[in-house]
Amino acid sequence: MKRSTVYRILVVVVLCAVPLLIAAAKVGDAAPGFSATASTGKTVRLADYRGKYVVLEWHNNGCPYVGKHYNSGNMQRLQKQWTAQGVVWFTILSSAPGKQGYVTASEENNYLTKMQAAPTAALLDPTGEIGHLYDAKTSPQMVVINPQGVVIYSGAIDDRPTTDLQDVPGATNYVSLALEQAMAGKPVQTPATRPYGCSVKYRE
Amino acid sequence: MNPGSHPTTRSRSTGSCVKADMRRRCSSLALNSALALGAGLLLFVANSKAAEGTPIPHGTLELVAENQSIAAGHTIHLGLHFQLEKGWHIYWVNPGDSGEPPRLKWRLPPGASVGEVAWPTPRRLGTSTIVDFGYEDDVMLIVPMHAAASMATQGLAQVGAEVKVLVCREMCIPGKAQVSLTLPVKSQAPVPDARNADLFATARKALPRAAPASWRISVTEAKDSFLLSANLGRNVPHVEFFPAAESQIQDAAPQQFIAMAGGFRLTLRKSDQLLKPIERLKGVLVLAGDRGYVIDVPVTKVVAVRRDVGDGINLADSLKEVMLK
Repeated sequence: MKRSTVYRILVVVVLCAVPLLIAAAKVGDAAPGFSATASTGKTVRLADYRGKYVVLEWHNNGCPYVGKHYNSGNMQRLQKQWTAQGVVWFTILSSAPGKQGYVTASEENNYLTKMQAAPTAALLDPTGEIGHLYDAKTSPQMVVINPQGVVIYSGAIDDRPTTDLQDVPGATNYVSLALEQAMAGKPVQTPATRPYGCSVKYRE
Repeated sequence: MNPGSHPTTRSRSTGSCVKADMRRRCSSLALNSALALGAGLLLFVANSKAAEGTPIPHGTLELVAENQSIAAGHTIHLGLHFQLEKGWHIYWVNPGDSGEPPRLKWRLPPGASVGEVAWPTPRRLGTSTIVDFGYEDDVMLIVPMHAAASMATQGLAQVGAEVKVLVCREMCIPGKAQVSLTLPVKSQAPVPDARNADLFATARKALPRAAPASWRISVTEAKDSFLLSANLGRNVPHVEFFPAAESQIQDAAPQQFIAMAGGFRLTLRKSDQLLKPIERLKGVLVLAGDRGYVIDVPVTKVVAVRRDVGDGINLADSLKEVMLK
């Protein structure tokens, strides 16, 4: 067989095989774009926030791991701390209708008010499309995207994979670490961790 | 809307009786018929009392001992017996994509110490995109307890544990239970407690055993996967691998199985969270129709591009490497 023929066959094989390999975005990849409806009714496009750090937070109000971070005020503190520094923070709701954590826009708005939460927006993702794009496994999984649109962190919110409120003080917060290190021009020391929590309640 | 009305996990009955929580009562009834009436009645009373358990979310937990007493210099085994309502599960030491394993805090008499938990072979739970490793129905964690040579030779020993456990079905509920038991301290070697013999025998059958010394297993590392090759000296129709550590392989990814003469090859996708090379791959290999076997295999790096691999992932990896040259 001629060399060019072998090469051509290789190319065909690779082109056929590559789509099978396309996995959800991981650390170091370009953050997949999405468009979503916020609980306010506005349409939010990730592409509009290029040039800013973006945090994605997977949320399910019935999950005890999420409860740990909201009932302790930890998540709200992080939202306020980082949005004050120009970071864009999207809370993403990927629970399917009928499943734990699914909420309507008004239910989510009531929740945000009641909890004094302060994300830039809460994005409704009942089809799970955004969740699957980022391979979100749990609530509260966290993703950090840099101003160049690259995923620089994906995983747990911190290093205490429990539901205990007393584990919040003293935990190492991976989201804050990633943002601090990236903003200081340093490489993110811990760019990927196991995202602890409840499984995301996707549509089946 | 009741989120529990759409369970994603399946429940399988593992005992001879239909409901898992009936198993002890069934076995005690069977025992009764075989024994003299008086003795049988006593056993039944003892068993009904023992089967009560401490409530945890959607189930009960009971601390049991394999022996009637403890003695200085001897090791006995304790069991944490979980009985769960149909459809609910708890987690293995590596819980998989979500959840967490039970956490134990022991309260032991002076001179006593506990060893590592023996975890039964888990089962894959969850959906196509999120896979957890755990147990449904009825499961017992066995823990060895050693009494130091300096321990007293008489009296009563209180053994207790605070158990934090996450119980999940479609949703998860964290629970905490205090369990305890009292054992007499004696000078003679501990004798088995007949009431718990069945329970411990069943629990031991569920434990993975050491891989036979004749097995030849190797693990090579490719860019995105581990290739586990095994020569067991017999053909197997299918296997399932459970990684002992978190964040090594993608839990939800299909494990590509290729039967070979006398063994198999299994391709395991690497976890996105695996950032550093691993020295060894440890876990439990479950052969179809058989039990689990503990394996602990050094990982070798692929130095040359593999051209002989018959599966998509490795083929594509290899081809990408060719293309990059």
